[in-house]
Amino acid sequence: MRGFYGHTISLFVVTVFGSCTIYDKIFDNPVDFKANEEQGIGAPTLVFYPKTQTVTQSDSLLLGSFIVFMEDSIEPFSGVHLQIQFPNNLVELDTIVPGLFITDTNKATPLFTYTYNNENTVDIYTYFLDTLKQDISGTGHLANLIFNPISSGTDSIYYNLQECEMIDHLDQEIVVNGIRGAEVIIE
Amino acid sequence: MKSVSLFIALLSCHLAAFEQNATYLVLNHFDKPLVGINESLINNFSNSTFNFDSSVDALFGDIDKYNNPASSYMNDIKDLGDTYNVNFILLNRIEHRGDRVMIEGLLFNTRSGGLIHRRKINLKNYDNGLVNELSLWVASTMNQIQKQWENEREALMFLDSEDITYDKTPMGAALRSLVVPGWGQAYSGNSLSAGLWATIQLSLSVAFISSYNNYDSSAKSFLENVKLYDATDDEKEVEMYRTSAEKDWNDHVGYSKLAIALAGTTLTGWVSNSIHAWVFGPRPFTNIYQKGISQSTYPKG
Repeated sequence: MRGFYGHTISLFVVTVFGSCTIYDKIFDNPVDFKANEEQGIGAPTLVFYPKTQTVTQSDSLLLGSFIVFMEDSIEPFSGVHLQIQFPNNLVELDTIVPGLFITDTNKATPLFTYTYNNENTVDIYTYFLDTLKQDISGTGHLANLIFNPISSGTDSIYYNLQECEMIDHLDQEIVVNGIRGAEVIIE
Repeated sequence: MKSVSLFIALLSCHLAAFEQNATYLVLNHFDKPLVGINESLINNFSNSTFNFDSSVDALFGDIDKYNNPASSYMNDIKDLGDTYNVNFILLNRIEHRGDRVMIEGLLFNTRSGGLIHRRKINLKNYDNGLVNELSLWVASTMNQIQKQWENEREALMFLDSEDITYDKTPMGAALRSLVVPGWGQAYSGNSLSAGLWATIQLSLSVAFISSYNNYDSSAKSFLENVKLYDATDDEKEVEMYRTSAEKDWNDHVGYSKLAIALAGTTLTGWVSNSIHAWVFGPRPFTNIYQKGISQSTYPKG
């Protein structure tokens, strides 16, 4: 009788406790300023989206470059210089296109150019040009970078914070307080 | 109690250990005629005198309904003692309930009118032992028990203890309550307790299932919102999905704790219900026989 009760209770406890899983609350979207803040990365932050992606060697690797402000500390800006470094043993640069934010959702044609040192560093220079507005503000999409995998492996693409720069329409620098790289896995 | 037959026997006996020349009025209240009881008393107690009078109606009801059963019929007993000029009154009552027979014996002192000894026997299929049982009871009050009567009782009661089987057992009640709360209590004949246990356990189970369903839906909603949160690069959607996911996460934690607490309570209640069914489950009657008046407790007329 005691054994019967014991087995019954054990089965019940395992069933109930095993069923009521408490999931981890992990919010880590690079575009989420709260997530960046939780990781100790101050805003404004230069981030890539997605933070991790896995592609095969036959696929292209599309990486979005974003500027993320905190809701209560948004500063208007006009120009951005991004220096991005990538593992050239894994991927090669294919294309760079302006993001929707810097083009003001295709209403404006920005100044958008880049230089590539043919190794592992690309510098993007962009300036918001519009007939009505002098600057833009808020979190948004600066550029899309497309890479082609050349070998398998795992590495990171990241910003060089010392060289990255953001200015307003008076050429006053807006300090970039943090960066987040992106992990790429080539299979 | 239906009294089919009422015998009044005036028994004058000479007792060695009890009291010399104490006299007894024996009243037999039977719901069915008991063949051979008169002859049995006359033959078994040949040194006593019996007078039978069936014209006297039933004198005693159920004494258990009184707050003080021992003194409930004091005046009637005293009156009877004066009327019949006896020291004690022996009341034997036999009642059949289905296949069970209840034999009750009461011994009253006519000087005080109080009940000084009582015995109750409740047995199944014991009709063929009634005459012998009455002889034993009358004899025990007079300290004239014969060994053959005790042997006959044992022969009837305990033919073979290994053959005794019980239709209902505490274990049967416990197992039934473990399957369905309250079933064991109902099986034991306690419908109020069965209803209470069933209601409590049903309520707890419904509350647990409800909490678990809420937990499950919150958890699924949380996972869905996290998936959408991870999949978007739109800051407004990110904030919206994060807010929803955080609410779902808090809900799923709360409902999880509630479900576990309710599960624990339900489990504890379920096991308690089964244990309760076992503790208060059907058991063989342990008061089927009370030994007659011992010499040390015999009344002194």
